[in-house]
Amino acid sequence: MAGLPVEPLLEIDGKNEEKVEDNNDIYINDNNKQSISKGALPVREESDQVGEREMALPPGSSIHRSGSRPQLDLSKAAIQGNPEERDPTILLPNQSDDISHLALDIGGSLIKLVYFSRHEDQSTDDTRKKTVKERLGISNGNRRSYPILGGRLHFVKFETSKINECLDFISSKQLHCSGIECHHWTSDSTANRNTVIKATGGGAFKFADLFKQRLGVSLDKEDEMDCLVAGANFLLKAIRHEAFTHMEGQKEFVQIDHNDLFPYLLVNIGSGVSMIKVDGDGKFQRVSGTNVGGGTYWGLGRLLTKCKSFDELLELSQKGDNSTIDMLVGDIYGGMDYSKIGLSASTIASSFGKAISDNKELKDYRPEDISLSLLRMISYNIGQISYLNALRFGLKRIFFGGFFIRGHAYTMDTISFAVQFWSKGDAQAMFLRHEGFLGALGAFMSYEKHGLDDLRVHQLVERFPMGAPYTGGKIHGPPLGDLNEKISWMEKFVLKGTEITAPVPMAPPGTTGLGGFEVPSSKGGTLRSDASALNVGVLHLVPSLDVFPLLADPKMYEPNTVDLSDHNELEYWFMVLSEQLPDLVDKAVASEGGTDDAKRRGDAFARAFSAHLARLMEEPAAYGKLGLANLLELREECLREFHFVDAYRSIKQRENEASLAVLPDLLVELDRMSEEARLLTLIEGVLAANIFDWGSRACVDLYHKGTIIEIYTMSRNKMQRPWRVDDFDLFKERMLGSGGKKPPPHKRALLFVDNSGADIVLGMLPLARELLRRGTEVVLVANSLPAINDVTAMELPDIVAEAAKHCDILRRAAEAGGLIVDAMVNTLDSCKENSASVPLMVVENGCGSPCIDLRQVSSELAAAAKDADLIILEGMGRSLHTNFNARFKCDALKLAMVKNQRLAEKLIKGKIYDCVCRYEAAQVEWL
Amino acid sequence: MDPAEVRNEEIPQASHLALDIGGSLIKLVYFSRNDNSHTDDKEQRTLNEGLGVSSDGSCPILKGRLHFAKFETSKINDCLEFIRCYRLHLGGFQHHETPSNKIIIKATGGGAYKFANLFEEELGISLDKEDEMDCLVTGANFLLKEVQQEAFTYLDGHKEFVQIDHNDLYPYLLVKIGSGVSMIKVDGDGKFERVSGTNLGGGTFWGLGRLLTKCKSFDELLELSHQGNNRVVDMLVGDIYGGMDYSKIGLSATTIASSFGKAISDNKELEDYRSEDISRSLLRMISNNIGQVAYLNALRFGLKRIFFGGFFIRGHAYTMDTIAVAVHFWSKGEAKAMFLRHEGFLGALGTFMSYGKQSYEGLSVDQATQQFPMSLSHAGDKIYCPLSQDLNDSIECSVYATQHHS
Repeated sequence: MAGLPVEPLLEIDGKNEEKVEDNNDIYINDNNKQSISKGALPVREESDQVGEREMALPPGSSIHRSGSRPQLDLSKAAIQGNPEERDPTILLPNQSDDISHLALDIGGSLIKLVYFSRHEDQSTDDTRKKTVKERLGISNGNRRSYPILGGRLHFVKFETSKINECLDFISSKQLHCSGIECHHWTSDSTANRNTVIKATGGGAFKFADLFKQRLGVSLDKEDEMDCLVAGANFLLKAIRHEAFTHMEGQKEFVQIDHNDLFPYLLVNIGSGVSMIKVDGDGKFQRVSGTNVGGGTYWGLGRLLTKCKSFDELLELSQKGDNSTIDMLVGDIYGGMDYSKIGLSASTIASSFGKAISDNKELKDYRPEDISLSLLRMISYNIGQISYLNALRFGLKRIFFGGFFIRGHAYTMDTISFAVQFWSKGDAQAMFLRHEGFLGALGAFMSYEKHGLDDLRVHQLVERFPMGAPYTGGKIHGPPLGDLNEKISWMEKFVLKGTEITAPVPMAPPGTTGLGGFEVPSSKGGTLRSDASALNVGVLHLVPSLDVFPLLADPKMYEPNTVDLSDHNELEYWFMVLSEQLPDLVDKAVASEGGTDDAKRRGDAFARAFSAHLARLMEEPAAYGKLGLANLLELREECLREFHFVDAYRSIKQRENEASLAVLPDLLVELDRMSEEARLLTLIEGVLAANIFDWGSRACVDLYHKGTIIEIYTMSRNKMQRPWRVDDFDLFKERMLGSGGKKPPPHKRALLFVDNSGADIVLGMLPLARELLRRGTEVVLVANSLPAINDVTAMELPDIVAEAAKHCDILRRAAEAGGLIVDAMVNTLDSCKENSASVPLMVVENGCGSPCIDLRQVSSELAAAAKDADLIILEGMGRSLHTNFNARFKCDALKLAMVKNQRLAEKLIKGKIYDCVCRYEAAQVEWL
Repeated sequence: MDPAEVRNEEIPQASHLALDIGGSLIKLVYFSRNDNSHTDDKEQRTLNEGLGVSSDGSCPILKGRLHFAKFETSKINDCLEFIRCYRLHLGGFQHHETPSNKIIIKATGGGAYKFANLFEEELGISLDKEDEMDCLVTGANFLLKEVQQEAFTYLDGHKEFVQIDHNDLYPYLLVKIGSGVSMIKVDGDGKFERVSGTNLGGGTFWGLGRLLTKCKSFDELLELSHQGNNRVVDMLVGDIYGGMDYSKIGLSATTIASSFGKAISDNKELEDYRSEDISRSLLRMISNNIGQVAYLNALRFGLKRIFFGGFFIRGHAYTMDTIAVAVHFWSKGEAKAMFLRHEGFLGALGTFMSYGKQSYEGLSVDQATQQFPMSLSHAGDKIYCPLSQDLNDSIECSVYATQHHS
């Protein structure tokens, strides 16, 4: 037995290159025979990259239109970039979001869909970007290096028994029109008969005819194991918080080193259980399995209890006591442990073993106890067999997936316990957040050139809009994308009564794996809050994101300073955010003109965000590892979800204007000072101006008491060194030197700016000006999307332009940086004349949050960082909540006023309005 | 016990009782001397002395039979009655050092602790607890080494005895399927380790079976499984793949993908299923699982042989077949499941052997087996009679009683 022949590995290579002629993107076969190369998918990243040359449609090409065909809108189609280039990308700026890719996993009980949609939010064509790109040497050609489309991966489920709803959904979203073959529409009008959609699961065979009949598409069957493995590999490599352990109710995310992922054991618990040894992409072997799986649990459970659904059975187990049915070691040994062989009295000696000796009948047992006993029996067994197989092949990691688990804490605990027990602590069970979607994702991956293989973890952002994952059938989330329906869904939700605390992602019953088990009809209209529900968001694929290159140790970097796994912290911030909510809703509604529609959306937003908070209070790790930054970003995303583009728009504008009005006086005052005094005053100014923060309750209260300028003056007057954290002298020495030696100026400084108004205008701009004056290039780094009253990269050029009117230094630098090139557009000479100045530039940071996760920043920021040797992080969000402990390869200055008593105590053992001026000289890499 | 005393006393009909009190069954092993044991004994003694064996005269040979009996633990009173009736408890030994002059009976199993007081009260005997695993292993080692035609394989209804080379017995995996399942790696006499186990055992079969069917006994449930068809209840690979094999991963259409997996999709209720089918499905589920876990453990420790014992099997052909098939399937034919004829009595037998520590050097078996006299099972109207003929074997043996005490 020791020398068992090993079954040859099932080597699964990529699909036959010749099998599918074309890639899965929009493809126009124009007269110039320009086509898209197989290797690189065209990217419609930003519409500002549209070349000047309009591409006239070839006269012969007609658009095939039929009721069920994609309605490609070719108006304004244009070749992107240089048409001389091979395989230029073709842009269809007017094509709607609906062109996407769809893959299915049709199990016995659930149909899982994964589909891709492009980003709908295209940033507008602004000169800033163009010039920044030129400046930073980001050529348009660079986008070719993005192997994938920017877009979103959506996860959707339907009950197999309601397959028609699934077909309707696909049809209404025209998802089937994006299959690979349909791009031949220009040349082949009969192409719709050839549309092919990747599918896996037993139902891919069973329902092939139905799909053909209803949607006119063929299902291309992908092997189930292939898909499972491909899905798992993708998730484990691309999603940061995918795998977690679950012991005694505690969920803990595990950081997997991508280079050390293989080999691992993948245990997929569907109706039955498959155990797959995975050695690499497409390299795996089904080494074992067991017929005692999810189907056994539900099958036996259904016979033994009167439960009508898997979830009902599972829920019962939570109130069960298995000791009434199971024979425990203690029952045999009269309450004693059999410690000699390490069995405690509560160890199950024999599942259902007590059902023998009693005179009780089935009806005398509580269904709760039966359910728990069954659950433990099956979970325990799966854990044991998995461990034995892992041991056999020397596998360090065991990942459990499949719909049997469905995030159910007790199931995970039991499996974990079994693995730990049998391995004596050497092995750990791990679980996957997207457990139910492995197969569907894998099927999606099987499309040629989907590019997902090349996707890296920093290019993926997961968002949690209401109702994601969309769930078909009677219980379903709000229709994706349709705001109005989403709002009414939220409203209905509230009507459902008080028992609903968290309408966020609910998992319907079902499974993947060997066919999946048939599941119970839906629970009708009952929407429930389920702590065990699966939480899967929408995956945003953002190929333009990068890791900030100046992080000293990207692997060890953790953005969050406040870890919300501490329940007290969570409670506190939960309270803070809840308190701020009404005010935020008011602002948001006002920003949209206070219309009835805006009010409705405001209510829906408030409910949705409260629901998220409630959900997270219940299970902090529901959406992955939770830090304060995630919570703050969630709020902004939630606002955007209900189409509040910029809640603080008017406030920001007002404050900018007020601050710009006093800027000239400030600059005059500064210029009168000595260099040394000026530096101190500038830093004081930044700290003082940082008081304007609508994210802080304390500051919002201040606003009611005085004008912006009054507050600023007051704040300035309170500036007294030493600050709570005061490295100013170190910074000054680096800037001005000591003992008569003047150090060289920094080459380029990245200034991560915070709030609009005084903060940027009276604090950061004067500091930027000082750096410019000293010959340091300055890059203002601002948010890509609005967050509270933070200034955005879009708004900055106007602010700078306005400030430049009163200041030559700023004007010349802004011109050099191309920020106000428009103003000078007809005086080329003046451009030349001013080119002596170092440039002032603006880049977007890639986020829409008050905090910043430096593992995921815009590619333009990453490019700008390459030559930078000084970073200034300003404000609570970016230098305290996040990055307080971050270390950089270059000099870093962190400036913030602490506007929160608790944070002040926790972080700097200080009090509210204390200041932080932390300076850390470059960490030399070889140290 | 002084051998001289034994000879001079009136020998009880049966003596040297040992008990294995498990969660669901009580197993008894006791020794009875042959009717003509006195003469035999003398002849043997004379012979031995003539041959110079045991020249010190301290090695009496008691010829007789080992008897095996079992009771449901829930009916422990029947067992007590049986013991009382046959005066088996008098066959224990009186420990000289015991001041109360109490009779001490060797016992193992969890019930040896749980029911100690009951035996004390009812029979006035004190249970001397022997470790369960020790007893199991001792019992198995004894059977495998001393009893011919003890181990056999079972495949496709064919029972085939396996000749075990005593010198090549160790290490092996002993799988004891009682209410729960213990898996023990045995490296020699008294050298073993419980390496694994599973909570899906005989208790699970009978417990679930009792809840799902109206069967009144384990054996009835087992009997039903003969007529069952598990396809009605189990989800097979073919059910998922529209009748096709999933040949790529080596699963045939008839492989069970999910035990009881069909019970979900139908609109049927429990009453709509035949007890026979349920029993069959349960049996396959549990046997399969035990076979798999056992194989994985054997593999892990590089053990060539797996012996299955314990009362779950009780010589039931289909059970053995399923276990054998599971081992065969998972080992791809490399490993074979083996069964023991006295599977249910390993613990009791081992307990019996433990008397040797005090008073007997050991047992040897002259002659294989004979049928258990049926009269014995008539001992009381309530007394449980073992069903399986195979289990009624008594072993004719000689007990060499050697005084080792100083």
